[in-house]
Amino acid sequence: MTLPFILNGEDVVARVRSGDRLSEVLRESFKLLGVHSDCRCGRCGRCLVLLDGKLVPSCIVPAFRVRGREIVTIEGYAQTNEYQDLVAGFKAAGIETCGFCDSGKMLAAGALLERRARPMPQEILEQLSAVPCRCTDAEALVKAVQAAADFRARRHFSRGH
Amino acid sequence: MVISEVHYPKDLSELFDILKRHPDALLYAGGTEILREQGGRAVELPETVISIYALPELRRVDLTERFLEIGAAITLSEILDLGDTALPPLLAEALRGIGTASLRNLATLGGNLACRSRFMDAWPVLACLDALVEFRNAGSSAWINVNRLAGQDGRPAAPIGGVMTRIRVPLERWDATALRKVGRRDYPASETAVFALAARGEKGILAEFRLAFAGETALRLEEIEARIIGRSLPLSERERRTFGGEYREAASALPRGLALQFGALVEAALDILAR
Repeated sequence: MTLPFILNGEDVVARVRSGDRLSEVLRESFKLLGVHSDCRCGRCGRCLVLLDGKLVPSCIVPAFRVRGREIVTIEGYAQTNEYQDLVAGFKAAGIETCGFCDSGKMLAAGALLERRARPMPQEILEQLSAVPCRCTDAEALVKAVQAAADFRARRHFSRGH
Repeated sequence: MVISEVHYPKDLSELFDILKRHPDALLYAGGTEILREQGGRAVELPETVISIYALPELRRVDLTERFLEIGAAITLSEILDLGDTALPPLLAEALRGIGTASLRNLATLGGNLACRSRFMDAWPVLACLDALVEFRNAGSSAWINVNRLAGQDGRPAAPIGGVMTRIRVPLERWDATALRKVGRRDYPASETAVFALAARGEKGILAEFRLAFAGETALRLEEIEARIIGRSLPLSERERRTFGGEYREAASALPRGLALQFGALVEAALDILAR
């Protein structure tokens, strides 16, 4: 089937089979290798993308579900100011995430900050449970996301003045 | 590999037209269960798939003083976003315990109830709350109690045909509620089950008492509940032992591990009523 959708801000069309997993389509048709497809059951957090702004495991999204919808992968998100806020926040908290989980954690934290400008520690941990990698302790992750929220708020404030 | 034909109806009427031509089509909303159970690079889907996620009739939420009505294709995250003032606490707690934040962005309440291989986490809570489920066909609609989604054998059952469209949750005051998930929390397995309880007292009498337990099979023993309701509070030691024994006996058909855990949870619940 022919599948038109928006990928990282651009209108694209893919030729897919209806049962193809979105993670596979992103990797194979678009060479977006920041999306992985390891567990294929939505648990490992390596395939996370934003679907219409919401964090979803792309390995359990069949391609047909994204017709006409907007997908952002880590490659697209990394071009945004919001991503830079998160990088600064993680650096301020002294975190160096591992290569296994960094893209998932960035997208998960970014999606949360879109909904909650100042998330509570419990909300942060709940959101980041979508990426069950244990490379970073919970307290540091909370600090990193809160620091990123501060960077984002400062940027919005300075842009408004 | 079967190449599936995918339909995207704009509304229920168009959906019923498609179903008339393709009665065996797969209705696909969140799809988390369907895809989670398959490990291959691509997913095996039936010949005809109907995407129902965006159907406006399945995407409505209505809140009145008496009930909360949730469209079957509303995701678990969207329900939680309604906030604690709109949601019965027992339901909110159950939904927060399902999967991860990212999974809840896909999984729908209708899908959670429609699972045919086992009961998922929402069923015991909605059974305790006496929720109703609407099934619609072209030109007809029927509301059934969510308890009827369990067959005589305790296994998931589809009592009537049609498309699940809405779930109506009564909003009532409860004096005591409890929710416990046993077994694996992250992944539904044979030893995973959810225990839910809701009770209300009025003028020293137990006015309502509902208890549900479900994993691969469901237990909701309304005949025992009917005999507990109307008793004076606190329950006497004799009543506590009698009802505890009846529940344990009814649970003896469950796998041993689950029966023991169910027995302990019932004891804890009856202890509260005996205090």
